Amino acid sequence: MTSALWTHLVKDLRIEWRSLDAIISMLFFSGLVVVLFSIAFDPRGAFSQQIAGGVLCVATMFASVSALNQAWTREIRHQVLDAQRMAPAPGAELFLAKVLANFLFVSIVQVILAPFFFIFYNLHILGQAWLLALVLPLGTWALVANGIFFAALSIRSRNRELLLSLILFPIFIPALLAMVQATTAILTGENDPTLWIKMLLGYDIVFTTASWLLFDVVFHAE
Amino acid sequence: MDERVLLDHQFTVAAYVVTWAVQLGYLAWLGLKWRAQKRNAARAARNPR
Amino acid sequence: MKKLAIGLYAALTVALMVWGFYQAIYVAPDEQTMHEVQRIFYYHVPSAMVAFLFFAISLAGSIGYLACRRNRAEWAQISDAWALAGAEVGVVFCTVVLITGPLWGRRAWGIWWTWDARLTTTLVLWLIYVSYLLLRRFAAGPQVQTLAAVLGIFGALDVPIVYMSNRWWRTQHPAPVFGGGEDSGIKDPAMLHAFAWNVIAWLAWGILILALRYRVERQHQKFAAQEAQEALDA
Repeated sequence: MTSALWTHLVKDLRIEWRSLDAIISMLFFSGLVVVLFSIAFDPRGAFSQQIAGGVLCVATMFASVSALNQAWTREIRHQVLDAQRMAPAPGAELFLAKVLANFLFVSIVQVILAPFFFIFYNLHILGQAWLLALVLPLGTWALVANGIFFAALSIRSRNRELLLSLILFPIFIPALLAMVQATTAILTGENDPTLWIKMLLGYDIVFTTASWLLFDVVFHAE
Repeated sequence: MDERVLLDHQFTVAAYVVTWAVQLGYLAWLGLKWRAQKRNAARAARNPR
Repeated sequence: MKKLAIGLYAALTVALMVWGFYQAIYVAPDEQTMHEVQRIFYYHVPSAMVAFLFFAISLAGSIGYLACRRNRAEWAQISDAWALAGAEVGVVFCTVVLITGPLWGRRAWGIWWTWDARLTTTLVLWLIYVSYLLLRRFAAGPQVQTLAAVLGIFGALDVPIVYMSNRWWRTQHPAPVFGGGEDSGIKDPAMLHAFAWNVIAWLAWGILILALRYRVERQHQKFAAQEAQEALDA
């Protein structure tokens, strides 16, 4: 890890550690979403195993957006963003550091939320449980990587938060599909999730590469 | 049997009408934009700085 | 001279549309199973072809803009105008596709919608380009063009992924496919004729609208540049 990447990463982690803003708001919001979905789609029914995967993924999505929305606002205050632009370190490293930090935050929320999820939905994993440890991070990475990138796109817009969701969700659809299908396959044990896992991996590689290559274009757009 | 034919006809008409409504609506909006641009250009031409 | 050419082209386009309509409604024979509802096909499929073509033009414009913006400013502006025009007119045609499709599907196959590869991809494409237009509307400042170009590229990257992921999804959960599957085609020559005329007509119409949108955008660009210059000079 280069020193610029490490510096950015440590900075973001330290700021978050002091206030825990992102994690607390994400935790509460995703918890709310899980409860709302439980009321909307009865988790006691026969189909609870079928929809649990989808609910978990959508809850992660909505929770992540609340973190992504404030991902760049820290930099906008006190013109930190302009200082970042003038620094000689490549912008792509700032991008990757932010993705890593936010990926960590969302994963922490997922780990805390998972037991409650299992309780509400009475989940028993019929497939290979360890695969979940592969699927969820891959899906979360897809969300956070694209989210941080598009959040940077929408910094200077009127409805910053709304625009982020509007841009992110359509492009995220195939990753959402893969994540839900893989999770459901693992939970119900009915299908083979390997295809979906490979798809998620492919999606992650394509979009992380594209974001890495194009971030400087966006960062220094003038 | 007749009702099916009638509904078929209504749906077909609806599809064609919607197509034209969308296309002509967009053309109209484009025309308004064109006019606004012309006005802007005229105003700019009138006050050269 | 140019005005005359444009006027002639517009008149030709209108004539083509009228002819296409006549072909679709009066000349093309009644289809065996779907009867009258099948005629929606003559508007639905050409619109889809034009929409995809224009989205491709938009992508080319986005790439062109990013490639030209440092050294060839004028070309960059032209590219950006094509990117925007292609996206906007593409969304118009795609909207037509997404409305006429369910109308056809409801009567022909009994369902308004299904999540097969084609429909899902079309819907996601529509969503992506609408989000592109929203970015252009909401984002402020001189970097809008760059940001939009980047989003255009991301959106285009996503489309094949959506298509493939949906195909895999469908192999696990087979579901009805609109339009009778990938390999069914039109065999009746009279229908083929009507279809071909409508493709030509809608393409002509689309090009007319696209060119108009491009012109309006170029005018807007020049006006904005002029205003910026005046603000600087003042």
